[in-house]
Amino acid sequence: MKNKPDILEVLHRATTGEYCTQKEWDTKKIPLTISRILKEHGLAKTCDMENPVNMDMELADKFYAAGYQAALELGYLCTDTDRIIAVSQEELDDALKHAPSELTVGEGKDATVLKARTPSDPYPLKAATSLGITLSEDIYADMAYLIANEREVDILEAGSLTTIHGYEVLSGTPTETRMGYEHGVMHREARRKAGRPGMGGMGSISAITEYGQFGAYGTPGGFRNTDLALILFPSEMKVDYRTLHKVVHTLNMGGIMKCDSPGMIGGMPGPAEGAVISSIACALLSYAILHTHVGGGEIYDVRYLATVNREGLWALSMTNQALSRNTHTLVHNISNQVSGPGTENLLREIAAGVSIIAASGASLTTGPRSAGGKLNDFVTPLECRFLAEVAHAASPMELSKVNEVVKALLPKYEDSIKEPDLGVPFQKAYNMETLEPTPEWEAAYRKVKAECIELGIPLDA
Amino acid sequence: MTTQEILDGLKQAVIDGDEDSAASFAAQAIDAEIKPMDIIKGAINPAMDVVGQAFEDGDAYLPELILAGDAARAALDLIIPTISTDDLDGSVQGTVVIGTIYGDAHDIGKNIVSAILAAHGIKVVDLGINVSPKQYIEAAFAEDADVIAISSLITTSLPYHREVINNLVDRGERDKFFVVVGGGPVTAEWTTQIGADGYGRDARDAALVVTQLLEGLAEGNKAPLAAPILVGALEHG
Ligand code: B12
Repeated sequence: MKNKPDILEVLHRATTGEYCTQKEWDTKKIPLTISRILKEHGLAKTCDMENPVNMDMELADKFYAAGYQAALELGYLCTDTDRIIAVSQEELDDALKHAPSELTVGEGKDATVLKARTPSDPYPLKAATSLGITLSEDIYADMAYLIANEREVDILEAGSLTTIHGYEVLSGTPTETRMGYEHGVMHREARRKAGRPGMGGMGSISAITEYGQFGAYGTPGGFRNTDLALILFPSEMKVDYRTLHKVVHTLNMGGIMKCDSPGMIGGMPGPAEGAVISSIACALLSYAILHTHVGGGEIYDVRYLATVNREGLWALSMTNQALSRNTHTLVHNISNQVSGPGTENLLREIAAGVSIIAASGASLTTGPRSAGGKLNDFVTPLECRFLAEVAHAASPMELSKVNEVVKALLPKYEDSIKEPDLGVPFQKAYNMETLEPTPEWEAAYRKVKAECIELGIPLDA
Repeated sequence: MTTQEILDGLKQAVIDGDEDSAASFAAQAIDAEIKPMDIIKGAINPAMDVVGQAFEDGDAYLPELILAGDAARAALDLIIPTISTDDLDGSVQGTVVIGTIYGDAHDIGKNIVSAILAAHGIKVVDLGINVSPKQYIEAAFAEDADVIAISSLITTSLPYHREVINNLVDRGERDKFFVVVGGGPVTAEWTTQIGADGYGRDARDAALVVTQLLEGLAEGNKAPLAAPILVGALEHG
C-alpha cells in the first residue's frame, strides 16, 4: 500500500511533473477530459432545472465515480512551474482513508466539532460566518464581535481588512504581513469579547497572498493552530506556490486547514454537470496533495455570479451528496448569494442555498455572500445569524422536502439574480448607537423566517 | 471553392475554435482576392456573434469562447496586413494588453473580458495573473499596444492601478496608452480618482469602452481623457 505523498514529495512533483501550460490546461486538458468523462459515465444533460435538489442517490454515486476518475486522470496544475502534480490511485485512496471524519475547531467548551455527515443526517451542518466581504477599519472590531456574539454561529471568519491604522494595505508587500498579524489579533479579541474565547476561527480571509497568512496564523495572539487555516486555490484544479506556502505554513504550525476551490459552471468544465465532476475531483485531490483536513465541493456559476440559481443549486446538491455518501471526509461548501443586506431576497437566497448544503450532507458552510460579496461594508450580523439557523435546522430534512422549499423560494428571487437589489451597508441596516438591526431589517428577517417555517424548514424547533 | 464556400469554411473554423483551419481558410480567402473587409464581415464577425450568443445562452462555455477568439486572431493576423487604410470603413483595430493585477489570482473575469474583446476583432495580449505595474507597461511598449486593461477583484491590489498610471506619468508617457480598469471593487469614483480612461462593469461593457477608446484614437484622441468613459457603473445605497 502506497501512502499519500509527503508534502516534500508534493513540492518535488510541482517541479518534476508532466509539463503543461496553463492555456493548454484551461482550454484543452480540463474541458476535454471532463466532457469525455461526462459521456463515458452517461452523465451529460442530467441537470434537472425543474428539481433543483437532486433526489436520485444512484446518480449522485455515479457523479462520485466520475469525479474520482477525473481526479486520477488530471491532478492539479502548478501554475508557477507549468507542471502537473498527479497522484496514483493508491495514494488517493490512502489520503481519503486517513482524512479526518471528525475535527474539533477551537478550544474547550466554546469549540465546535465538525463531523462527516450523510444526506439528511441529524448531526448539524456547522456555520462559519461571514465571508471575506471587506469592512472599513472603523467598524471591523464591532462587526467581528457582533458576529461572534451571534450564538448560532459556530466558527468566526469575519470580514477582510484593507487598511490598518489608516494606512493602505498593498497585497504581497510587508503591509500585508503586518495586516495579517493585526487581523489575527482583532479576530481573537472579538471572540474573547463575545465571551467565547475558545470559539473556533477560520482565516485569515484578509491574507491575499502567503504573506498575510504568515502574519496571521500561528503568530502569538493571532489565529491558533486549533483554528482552521483558510486556503483557497484557483479554479479549475490549479495550485500555485502561494497556495503551497500556506499549506506548508499550516503544517509547520501543527495547524488544521480548509482548502478548496470552486468548480465553475460556464467556465472551463462547461455545464453544471461538468462543474460537479471538476468540483468532486478537486475536493478529493485536496486530501492527497494539500493534506487538508476539511475539503471543498464548491460550485460557482460564472454566468450568474452566484450559486443560488437553478443550475448552481442543483450542482451544489449533487457535489455534496456525492462526496458525503461516498467518503467519510469533512465537506465544506458555500452558497453564494447576490442580494444585499436589508433585502428579503438575501434571506431567501440564504435559505435556498444553505438548506441544500445542510440536507445534502456537508459538514461546514461559510457565508453569506451578501450583495455578491463585492461591496465594502455590505454585510450584517443578522444574515449571519439566519444562515447559521438554517444550517442547523435544515440538516435532518428529507431531500424531497428541501426540493419543495427551494422550488417555492426560487420564483421569488430568480428573475433578479442578474440585477439584484444590493440593499444597504451595515451602517444603514443597523442602528449604529445600539448596534442592533433597524426595525425594518429585523421585520424582514422575521417575515422570511416565518415564510421558511411555513414552507417546512423547522426554524422554530 | 467558391467565395461563399471559403467564407463558410472560415466561419465554421472560428466557431470550432480551430486555429489551423481558420488560418488556412484565411489564406485561401486572400489568394482568392476576397476583399479583407468582406472576409471579416462575412465570416469572422458572424462566427464570433454565434459563439458569443451561445455563451450568453449557456450553450457554449469559456473554453469555446477562448478558442474561438484564438482562431479568429489566427485568421486576422493574416488578413489585417492586407487591409489598406481606406478599406477600414469604421471597423476598429487595436491592441490591448490585459492582465490581473499584482497579488490577485482571480482570472475568470479577465479571461471572459479577453475573449469578448478578441471577439470584437481586437488583438488581445493576455499577461495572465499577478501582473506588476511595470510588467503592464513593458508589455504595452513591446506590443505597441493602444490600451492597458487591468482586472482586479482584490481591494488591496487596487493601489497598483494608481501605480501603473503614476509610472506612465512619471516616465512622461501617459499619452501612449489608454488605461481601462474593471473587476469587483473597482468603481466609477476610483476610475476618476486615479485618472484612468475607462471602466466597465462586465465584459460587454469592457468591449464598449475599449471600442469607444479605439474609435476615439482613430479620430485623433489621445490619452489621458479629460474624463473617463464609464459604462455600467453600479449604483447602490
Ligand atoms: C471565484 C472566486 C475565487 C477563486 C478564484 C478562481 C479563479 N480562477 O479566478 C479562488 C477560490 C481562488 C479565490 C481566492 C481568493 N479570494 Co475570491 N472570489 C471568488 C468569487 C466568488 C467570484 C469571482 C469570479 O470568478 N467571478 C466570475 C467572473 C465572471 O466575474 P468577475 O471576475 O467579476 O469579472 C467580470 C467583471 O468584474 C468584469 N471585469 C473583470 N475584469 C475586468 C477588467 C476590465 C478592464 C473591465 C473593463 C471589466 C472587467 O467583467 C467580468 C465578466 O463579466 C468572488 C466574489 C465575487 N462576487 O466577485 C470572490 C472574491 C473576489 N474573493 C475574495 C477574496 C478575499 C479571496 C482571497 C483573498 C481569500 C483568501 N484569503 O484566500 C483569495 C485570493 C487569492 C488571490 N491572491 O487572489 C473577495 C475579495 C474582497 C476584496 N474586495 O478584496 C471576494 C469579493 C469574495 C467576497 N468578499 O465575498 N476567489
